[in-house]
Amino acid sequence: MNQPKKQLTEKESLDLIAKMISKAKDSYHDTGIGAIMWGALIAICSIVKLSEIHFGYQLPFDIYLLTFIAVIPQIFITIREKKERKVKSFDDSYMDYIWLGFGICIFLLIVIINSVFHVWEPVAMEYRQLTGHRSPFQFSEFVSPLFLLLYGLPTFITGAACKFKPMLWGGIFCWICCIAAIFTSIKIDLLLTAASAIMAWLIPGILMEREYRAYKKQQAAGDV
Amino acid sequence: MFKDLDPILHSQLRLAVISLLISVKEAEFTFLREKTNATAGNLSVQIQKLKEAGYIDVVKQFKDNYPQTICKITPLGITAFEEYVKNLQSYLGTNT
Repeated sequence: MNQPKKQLTEKESLDLIAKMISKAKDSYHDTGIGAIMWGALIAICSIVKLSEIHFGYQLPFDIYLLTFIAVIPQIFITIREKKERKVKSFDDSYMDYIWLGFGICIFLLIVIINSVFHVWEPVAMEYRQLTGHRSPFQFSEFVSPLFLLLYGLPTFITGAACKFKPMLWGGIFCWICCIAAIFTSIKIDLLLTAASAIMAWLIPGILMEREYRAYKKQQAAGDV
Repeated sequence: MFKDLDPILHSQLRLAVISLLISVKEAEFTFLREKTNATAGNLSVQIQKLKEAGYIDVVKQFKDNYPQTICKITPLGITAFEEYVKNLQSYLGTNT
């Protein structure tokens, strides 16, 4: 495209516009590393928690603390991805705010749940002492649906906005699991959480990473 | 009645640049060069013409000690592009 003086016909102009718009749209490729990391991490945390309950042992620390530690590599991943990106799409800034908002909501939900447990636990213990039975209301049974509710939202929006169906369906899957988890035991809730993390982030992340590698390969081949 | 096509946009490389910039928020010079397959010198000249017409904003900065040029379409550029496409459609009779 080195002849600026070449006179374009109207048809050629329209074709060029369509070609360039399509090229620009095709240039956005997420590495998928963040999604893979979070999908694997949440799935592992849920399965470890499930095994703690099932086999009656306890780790010296809460396994979910790993999610706080994972924020550090996530920051590095985000910075590196932004540095590598030669183009900024209109969706980029919205997506950043959506996922940041999601992170804040998850943090606040953890604070709220811990506060409720703090108040509820003495009441449940007193009930047990007085009646000799477990309280019919177990707050822990409703924790997973609350998380699944939140997991679904940014995943669904990202999938819809980026026209990436695996993530869109992943978001819907989280909400289906959210409804199911209301009626199931805590062990099944944890299994549903692990399944949601795999469906919403791990699998879409792997697909994104594959697409990204193929795109890079194609670009490298074009440079030769 | 057909209107004249904007001479600033009715050039292969400048039209390619504007079409790329209309689809994104902002893009680096290297991205535009990659997508248009133009030489750096030619692309620089055409970008300068678009900038002089007020159709794009060009920001020159440093990234990791290397110069970086970022281009972004302006509201005037968007209007000019829309007008250009409308005129093209009227020429081709595709306007509904």
